[in-house]
Amino acid sequence: MSGTVRRRLYWAIQWRRNEGLGALGIVLLAAAVLYAVLFPGIFGAGALNKFVQGWFPTALVAAAETIVMLTGGIDLAVGPMVSLGSVVAASTMQSPLGTAGGVLATLALGIGVGSFVGWVVAVARYPAIIVTLAMSFVIRGVALLILPRPGGFVPHGLSDLLAGNRPVTALLLVLLVLAWKLYQATPLGLGLVAAGDNAEGAYRSGVGVTASRISAYAASGMLQALAGLYVAAQTGSGDPLIGEPLTLAAIAAAVLGGVSFLGGQGTLRGALAGSLLMSILINVMFFLRLPLVAQYVVQGAIIVVTVALPRLRAAARRPV
Amino acid sequence: MRAFALPMALRGFGRSLVAYGVVALLWIVASALIEGFGVFAHLRYIVELAAIIGLVGVGQTLAVIGGGIDLSVSAVITVAAIVLPMLSFAGDATGLGAIALTLLVAAAIGAVNGLGIGYLGLPPLIMTLAMATILQGLLVLIAGGSAVSVDNPALNWLGNTHVLGISATILLWAIVAAATLFWLHGTRAGALIYAIGTNPLTSLLSGVRVARVTLGLYVASGLCSGVAGLLLLAMNGQGYVGIGDPYLLSSIAAVVLGGTSILGGAGSYVGTIAGAVLLVTMTALITVVNASEGWRQVILGCLILGLLPLSGRDQSR
Amino acid sequence: MSAAGAILGARSVSKSFFGNPVLRDVSIALLPGRIHALLGENGAGKSTLINLLSGTLAPDAGDLEVDGDRVAALAPRDARRLGIAVVQQELSLAPHLSIAENIGLGAAPRRWGMIDYRGLAARVAALCTGVGLTEPPELPVGRLPLGRRQLVEIAKALFRRPRVLILDEPTSSLAAPDVAMLTALVRRLRDQGVAILYISHRLNEILDFCEHVTVLKDGAVTADRPLAGLDPLGLVRLMVGRDPQDLFPPYRAQATAETVLQTNGFRSGTASGIDLTLHRGEILGLGGLAGQGQEEFLLGLAGAAPARAAQFRMTTGAKPRTAPFAGVAEANAAGLAYVPADRKREGLLQPHSIRLNLLLPGFAAHPVQRRRRAAEAATSAELAGRFTIRGDLRRPVQALSGGNQQKVALAKWLPLAPSILLLNDPTRGVDVETKREIYLALRAMAAEGKAVLLLSSDTPELVHLCDRVMVFHDGRVAALLPHGAATEEAIVAAALGLAAPAAASVPA
Repeated sequence: MSGTVRRRLYWAIQWRRNEGLGALGIVLLAAAVLYAVLFPGIFGAGALNKFVQGWFPTALVAAAETIVMLTGGIDLAVGPMVSLGSVVAASTMQSPLGTAGGVLATLALGIGVGSFVGWVVAVARYPAIIVTLAMSFVIRGVALLILPRPGGFVPHGLSDLLAGNRPVTALLLVLLVLAWKLYQATPLGLGLVAAGDNAEGAYRSGVGVTASRISAYAASGMLQALAGLYVAAQTGSGDPLIGEPLTLAAIAAAVLGGVSFLGGQGTLRGALAGSLLMSILINVMFFLRLPLVAQYVVQGAIIVVTVALPRLRAAARRPV
Repeated sequence: MRAFALPMALRGFGRSLVAYGVVALLWIVASALIEGFGVFAHLRYIVELAAIIGLVGVGQTLAVIGGGIDLSVSAVITVAAIVLPMLSFAGDATGLGAIALTLLVAAAIGAVNGLGIGYLGLPPLIMTLAMATILQGLLVLIAGGSAVSVDNPALNWLGNTHVLGISATILLWAIVAAATLFWLHGTRAGALIYAIGTNPLTSLLSGVRVARVTLGLYVASGLCSGVAGLLLLAMNGQGYVGIGDPYLLSSIAAVVLGGTSILGGAGSYVGTIAGAVLLVTMTALITVVNASEGWRQVILGCLILGLLPLSGRDQSR
Repeated sequence: MSAAGAILGARSVSKSFFGNPVLRDVSIALLPGRIHALLGENGAGKSTLINLLSGTLAPDAGDLEVDGDRVAALAPRDARRLGIAVVQQELSLAPHLSIAENIGLGAAPRRWGMIDYRGLAARVAALCTGVGLTEPPELPVGRLPLGRRQLVEIAKALFRRPRVLILDEPTSSLAAPDVAMLTALVRRLRDQGVAILYISHRLNEILDFCEHVTVLKDGAVTADRPLAGLDPLGLVRLMVGRDPQDLFPPYRAQATAETVLQTNGFRSGTASGIDLTLHRGEILGLGGLAGQGQEEFLLGLAGAAPARAAQFRMTTGAKPRTAPFAGVAEANAAGLAYVPADRKREGLLQPHSIRLNLLLPGFAAHPVQRRRRAAEAATSAELAGRFTIRGDLRRPVQALSGGNQQKVALAKWLPLAPSILLLNDPTRGVDVETKREIYLALRAMAAEGKAVLLLSSDTPELVHLCDRVMVFHDGRVAALLPHGAATEEAIVAAALGLAAPAAASVPA
């Protein structure tokens, strides 16, 4: 009896964390059904693969934003970082470093910049919102300095591998979720949530709050740079401004997925679901031949409604 | 010990003086090294450009002191610049009617922000970001991609008139700045902004109508961004989608450079004025040395990072 | 100092904040198998000493001693390694993490670098049984009521298999059965050789099972001796340095027959069906265990929480008010003022000046007015004088001691001349001297004809200060006791839900 109870603890905790995601699940299901009705071809392997490829960069940045938001921070430099990742990937891969060197350089870039931001936030204690805002200028500037206009080159082999006809992207998505699960189960991973939830208490409990925070920003930076690499592979070149819309998309997906600005609350699965919902809606709007900009209106409205709804419900439920 | 004993408002004041010092230093050095920089007309031009950031910075400063942030300022600027020509109507010979209507629209957008934040309790970041996104979409739907030009007598006057060698733009900024400073430091309502920015719960329990004060802040912010949009239109002669975009980050940067804490409850518009001039000066210098857009961004970012100590640390662990 | 055999000790440590000395030359030694009481008024330096011993702060001067070895300072991680665990008064839990994760936080068993949830579950299950925590271990801590969270906090400290256990007011939010459980648990740990430092304001608890006491007053040790042979009065004398008899002003019935507030079937949060009649000049006490609805009742009256009433009549204003208030501002305008319990988060704007804090309700009531600095300075100086708040009023309020902060939180309402004062535990964490000042101020205000609703967690206050006492149990009024009948026994009995207040056997 107690053996099964023990084994169940991890999954019981995980199940509890699904609370509050029910509404999102229903909306997501409805959107998926709508999409499938409008575009039955989605169930073809090729179309599904293409859809996942379109969704993947948003999923990556949503994950990156979630990690930082869980610590109680926010990252406003996600978009520029994706651009810089794409620029660095595309310009190193045509250098003697080669493809492998380019991938490593991009990874190192993301981890390096993330660690720096993490240090400024966790050790020097400056508010994340203003640090990452300033960093967004610096990163965008550096991207523009490396490649003032779209250029560089990503080997066809890599493009074909990541964004070709094989379901590699779906595999990467699975890997992302698995890596997150493993990370969350380490003291650093649990520590970043505890640090966002009650920093003082976590510190007093012996949690390495500073290390947790810095590694969270580093992991987030790595995911952002990887998103840049992926985008570069998709387009075959680097673009210093290609990531710009992703800052908002990342925050929106995280918020939709129930990740709190105050830290400590939220799940990666929620944020991924949030980004999936937005991806589906953008596709639906595309098929409905709505102008591209209409998606902005819808995106903004979705964010407000998602955040406002629980508050309106709470207000209505008051025992008056 | 001394610094600790200084009251909050004064401390913010002291911080903002640093930005004035940096501006003075830059102006002196640049005037000595770069021919034509120190000429009155050039410095006036700098201040004129700073007026736009300064006006947007009014709303941003109020929002930040009140514990929030307004990410919809750039969208409101664009709205004002694009909507004015559409609201021009026959019989409005001075053009003031259209201006009033435009400002009403800008204030109404601010009011929606304020209602969402103050009464529904939405996080300011979310509310204003979503507002910006929605407006961005609506603007393209309404205006399409093309620029609209305007012929508004009052705006033309604003763009061309000088009083004692000072342009009307700068005078307008001076008037709005004086009113803002009076509101913040000369009225009880101003003290309440600091109160809600420091601790909304304490303020509420002390009888402060927090939602109402919040609403006022964001209406003021919308209004000021609207004014800035009109000024921009007067300077440019044309409005187009994206005209306001650079002013979001620069307004926040001006607030931070001016020593107002991004955490709310401290700081002053005094600093934002210097912050706005500092930003424009930096841009001008970068243009003079012919640096690329990339360098401009890097230097701007490093400047904010370097001046972070002015903006206050997060005390909580 | 007899430090021989001490697991953990401090030798001549000093610490100051912002130039104010908080600890001066303090020594203490924690011995295995001994329950050591640490006593002192709030602001005497107890929390600072705990923080030094547990590695949250470093001393300015002096050494810590661990197993006879000198160390300059400890980090929380060192403290954990050395087996020092603290049950915090300010809860150290992460509300969105599960009970199990909180208990193991920072000390969870690992396998291959990852948290071993299986191992964690086994140890947590055993501990939870030990402290009487029956909730499922995967439940987020934020879902638990305050008292249950305190149990998680205790389990968390025990999880670390401490050699030194520091308990900082562990019983302040516990119900009586849990207190008994905790007492037994602490005794058991003592028998196992754990060194225990016990901080509590409940003198009976300390006399009941502590063996040695260190008393702090104004940051210095005034006594370090065995407890044997001391009585409660003796303890108080050690803490205060004077006789406690005149803590309460002599009781005088000042209540008039004039009703200022009457409500029937008042409902707010978990409080429901509350009937209240409040008279001019009356001090009406609200008692009960923590979380029985008395606080929500007060918040509902103050307009700070949604409330409803079958009948509501407030007759202090120009025209009578017949419905509960929908907002604090409205309530203030009608002559009602609410002083919250939590000065830090609810009562005061900590980084702002004492002056601004004193002026805030006035500003809020009439916001559209010019600031007149001279008049403001005069008003605030007068308020400060009346409550003996000394020093420069431009200092941030956070520079004041807890007691002085409470005086500011109270004084700031006087400019509005409220006719009804709602006080939420105004003497919690306040030193004895200030307590007395507050009692005198309340008496004086009642004498002026104000009506005072005094919620208190300190039963003697209810006994000695109040004209009548309403005791809450489970969201309802369990007893309404007039002065005289409201003895400590009667109040506690009613608080525990025992039918007749006279029922003698009170489980203490």
